[in-house]
Amino acid sequence: MDLIGGYNPRRARLLIQNKNENLYHMPVVCSQCGNAYCMTACPVKAIHRNDDGIVCIDPDKCINCGLCAQYCPMGMVSLDPDTKKAVKCELCQGKPLCVEACPTGALELVQLRKDQ
Amino acid sequence: MSSAYTNKLMMIDLSHASFEILPVPDALKTNFIGGKGFGAKLLCDMVSPGTDPLSKDNPLIFMTGPLTGTMAPAMRGCVVTKSPLTGIFLDSYFGGSFSPEIKYAGYDGIIIKGQAKKPVFIWINDDHVEIRDARHLWGTNTLEANRLIKTELKDKTIKIATIGQAGEARIPFALICGEYNRQAGRGGAGAVMGSKNLKAIAIKGTKPVLVHDPQRFITACARAFKELEESPDVESFRQAGTAASVEFANETGLLPHKNYQNGTFSKASDLGDKGQSKHLWLGSSACMGCPIRCSKIGAVRTGKYKGIITDIIEYESVALMGANLDISDIRAVAHLVKLCDLYGMDSMSTGNIIGFAMEACEKGLIPSPKGIDLKFGNVAAAEHLIHAIANKKGELGKLLSQGVQKAAQKIAGTAEELAVHTKGLEAPAWGPRGVSGMGLAYMTTDRGGCHQRGFPVSYELSGEWEGHPLDPLSPEDKAQMVVALQNYSAGRDTLVNCDFGSYGIPADTYAELLSAATGQKADTNTLMETGERIWNLVRYFNLAQGLTAQKDILPRRFVEEPLPDGPSKGHRISRDDMDYMRQEYYQLRGWNKKGVPLDKTLNRLGIKYVGPHQ
Repeated sequence: MDLIGGYNPRRARLLIQNKNENLYHMPVVCSQCGNAYCMTACPVKAIHRNDDGIVCIDPDKCINCGLCAQYCPMGMVSLDPDTKKAVKCELCQGKPLCVEACPTGALELVQLRKDQ
Repeated sequence: MSSAYTNKLMMIDLSHASFEILPVPDALKTNFIGGKGFGAKLLCDMVSPGTDPLSKDNPLIFMTGPLTGTMAPAMRGCVVTKSPLTGIFLDSYFGGSFSPEIKYAGYDGIIIKGQAKKPVFIWINDDHVEIRDARHLWGTNTLEANRLIKTELKDKTIKIATIGQAGEARIPFALICGEYNRQAGRGGAGAVMGSKNLKAIAIKGTKPVLVHDPQRFITACARAFKELEESPDVESFRQAGTAASVEFANETGLLPHKNYQNGTFSKASDLGDKGQSKHLWLGSSACMGCPIRCSKIGAVRTGKYKGIITDIIEYESVALMGANLDISDIRAVAHLVKLCDLYGMDSMSTGNIIGFAMEACEKGLIPSPKGIDLKFGNVAAAEHLIHAIANKKGELGKLLSQGVQKAAQKIAGTAEELAVHTKGLEAPAWGPRGVSGMGLAYMTTDRGGCHQRGFPVSYELSGEWEGHPLDPLSPEDKAQMVVALQNYSAGRDTLVNCDFGSYGIPADTYAELLSAATGQKADTNTLMETGERIWNLVRYFNLAQGLTAQKDILPRRFVEEPLPDGPSKGHRISRDDMDYMRQEYYQLRGWNKKGVPLDKTLNRLGIKYVGPHQ
């Protein structure tokens, strides 16, 4: 809602994968990978890691080539159908809406200690 | 101005392999809101009296509600058509993820008319609409068809509604299967789809559903979520879905046993949440956007039927395919229900029909099929009949595949006395002899024997309706309650909300969600009045299709045979009780003694029913 002004889970920055007639359903979220392939694959350095360790995309620099989406191992980067820019989970400025909306507590935001 | 309506309806004509996009007129939104309301109005406008439900002239209408696809909790979709089982109005509802996808593709609903020359499926990818060959899918079951289409279109995220072999064979209680384990189950919408040579509809939608006033809508959603969280009834659904109703129905003497002869079953707990959680369940799952998560998904892990994945066997299916057949092995019931799901056949109607056949055979009215001992408690006999019905195989398979009403009519002797249906729709799993208001609801429900157009049971057993004392066994004071519940149910069905949601969320919250999402003014009264408008319009439609007051009755078993067990032992709903409740009901509805809406009633509700536009 906050991101695209309306509702559509296809446009969410996380995925729920279903398998075996929905017997298994698992949320897939961006890992903010230590070795982020999206960041390495970006030919124009539009992707950087901020001070909190979150991998962010600068839409002004993005040239919508799609390489980041192509090489993300989790399918967590996509091209916005309206702006055509690459988008991914940037943890909603520290207050993820998905965590707020989750009714079961399956999603929570945890901070890894530096030594981990 | 933003609104949760997409303001577009997709009309597909399979006879000409063409489609067009229709606007949604403001008057339709004001008078009918969405869902059941839109479907009823369109059906009335499109279907002439005498239309064969399995002909090209009967439309198959998929409708969403204005809140479907938003964050409003527990919103679903519905299918509206003329039923091949009853010959009257049919609305059948389904959860899951198919109906939100209709909205995300940019449509409030899909209307399918005509008939394809060869098997096809429809592929809607936002604005792209394609009618594709489905000859290679014909003959596959519901899940296999789903899998093959996803493979063919190279996308596992597509949402699909399919029919199985039963729909292809036009079995009048065939269903439409959404994903996963979500069916538009009742009344034979799958047969209508099969008659159009339409195997499936596959949709992918990438558009956002907007709302009129985002801040107000988010606040209303938060209120609805809180109300769900605080409701003990919803908590019960969250823990055990409707499986918990098995023991409740057994204790109150409402559980059908041996084709509704009895109201209790000594092994009920094997079939309820205790038995299911032990033998089947592994985890919870939810329809899209719903925090209730009433689904308990699992598998049969051991025994003869091991290896099948099964959702919760919800109350209606487990009561009719289990207790009603005197079968207490929950793993066997899971197996039987799964067979119905794969064939794409309503497990409620099928359970009812098998119960009828078992009783008819025990009473010597029909012979056992060769090599089968057709009697209560025999799982192999039930399984045999499911295959025979779905494939119209053998004398008995062909006979029973017509539904319990027609099958009973064709058997000589007293078989009709054993057929438990209203207006041709096999009765659900709440024997009404101890709750006469439920009986009146069955008598008057718009689509035939149904428990979901008002469910007075909980009020009757609590002994109170809106502060007034209520005797569950008496015919008095029932009509007012049933009318109010039906109006509210039809009003809510314009939103296509889940009945379970309404156990926690009150009418004014639904109205607030609607207003915030669409900008339309709405309060509790809007829902009630719209419901009443729809109820009368549908009544008028049904009368035009040949319904008469003589059909507003209960099956003989509930009228002539006193309940032999349970707390209401000895009770039945007599002819006098029926007449009393019916006349009081007609009067409160503003209908004449023959159940025809009076002009002043139609005028008050602004209904001008003129039938289809020529």
